[in-house]
Amino acid sequence: VVEPDAPVPIYQQIRDRIIEAIARGEQPVGSALPSTRQLAIDLGINFHTVNKAYDTLRQEGLVRLSRKSGAVIARDGTTGPASDVFAEEWGRRLDTLLAEAIAQGMRADQIVEATRSGVARYPNHYGNEGHRS
Amino acid sequence: MSAQNLTTVFAVALVGALICVIPALTAPTLQFGVRVPPDRLRAPVLLAERRRYFWRTGVIGVCLTAAALSVPAGSRWLTVLLVVSQLAAGLGCYFVARERVLAVKTAQDWFGGLTQTVGADTTWRTEPERFPVLWLVPALAIIVVTAAVGIARYPGLPQRLPVHFSAGGVVDRYADKSVWAAFTLVAVQIFVTAMMTGLLVLTYRSRPEVDAADVAGSTRRYGRFLFAMSRAVLATAALVDLSLLLVSLQIWQVYRLMDATVALAALPPALGVFVLVVVSVRMGQAGTRLAGPAPAGETSSKVTNQDDDRYWKGGLIYVNRDDPAIMVARRFGVGWTLNFGNPRAWVAFAVVIVAVVALVVARRR
Repeated sequence: VVEPDAPVPIYQQIRDRIIEAIARGEQPVGSALPSTRQLAIDLGINFHTVNKAYDTLRQEGLVRLSRKSGAVIARDGTTGPASDVFAEEWGRRLDTLLAEAIAQGMRADQIVEATRSGVARYPNHYGNEGHRS
Repeated sequence: MSAQNLTTVFAVALVGALICVIPALTAPTLQFGVRVPPDRLRAPVLLAERRRYFWRTGVIGVCLTAAALSVPAGSRWLTVLLVVSQLAAGLGCYFVARERVLAVKTAQDWFGGLTQTVGADTTWRTEPERFPVLWLVPALAIIVVTAAVGIARYPGLPQRLPVHFSAGGVVDRYADKSVWAAFTLVAVQIFVTAMMTGLLVLTYRSRPEVDAADVAGSTRRYGRFLFAMSRAVLATAALVDLSLLLVSLQIWQVYRLMDATVALAALPPALGVFVLVVVSVRMGQAGTRLAGPAPAGETSSKVTNQDDDRYWKGGLIYVNRDDPAIMVARRFGVGWTLNFGNPRAWVAFAVVIVAVVALVVARRR
């Protein structure tokens, strides 16, 4: 589900939705994504937009693109621990998010609670009891 | 009453009834080609305009059926005239209702404060509906049989072939014997079958009509609609081919139909139309009349499909340059329409038009 009129660009929304599906376990490692042309038809948008979303996911190492088998999920929470490079980069983005929350007047326990319940929504993450080895 | 007259009355009554019930066959969120958010489905203007449309088109249908009953038999053009005026009147009623709904929608800003989304269910692509190739077999078999009979009869045919028959079964046009004159209807069979198959294949590649409030459910219902409708269309193609076979047998002088039996050739297409109408009424456009489980998970009444009215000229013709789809579900009526913002759709359109013109011109020669 994307929102064409939202301020977030559509390719970014597609990327976000796919990452959420991976985190929920709906798109496990090895599962196929629709081809860029198919997804563009289904969403009624230009297929360069879908290409851009898939290319972003490829750069992030989450999707493998090949001419033969199309777009396939390259990793999910069960594949292994995150790389240090990713953790560092993610930490910087989290800093920005935390700064936003504090600048807007959110309380510390509010922020911690929101984070806790957010993580609890994804039961299958790496290092959790539910995780498949 | 002659067979021709009966056909006219029947056609006018059927078209009238269909025009009258179209709003009930389309999604409540797409009325008169206008996108309606879920929290406005019971807006007074919608209920009032649906009621008015129903009565206006109903009265027009009854009047024209009465006119068809009272005219003398024989004129083919009269049938065409009646049906065309019926379509024009129906279109008029449609635009009157549409303008009123649009005016209220704009004035009250129906989409203000709503989150407009476009949804897609990825299982549509990972577990796709497949084009029913086996359902092509009857149509192809009939074409092969027709061609085979024609080839067997051709050497023994006289120099002048009867190529057209009046309503009473009397030959009213002859043509000099040629392969083309003898096999025109086989070409028509091939054209009908190829066109329906081609458009269905494009439809299978296209997207389902999705309700943002229930993406998975509406995709599933659309799948059932596509499943039934594609089979009904292919069965209709076979029935039309069968009808052309029955007429061809006359041209090839296997038999000659007279009087009431002339209507025999019209029966298979009538059966096809009946099947298509049953599927349309039972399922509704894109499966909107099918029952299904309530949508799973949280659904907010603030989430709605994108207000895409701007891509629909008059609510009937779809023009969206950014949309790679060639065929999309139509808004008013049952079935699909081309995306005229896509050059490939123009190619498909041109191929069909050129083929029709070529067949008509070749037949007149």
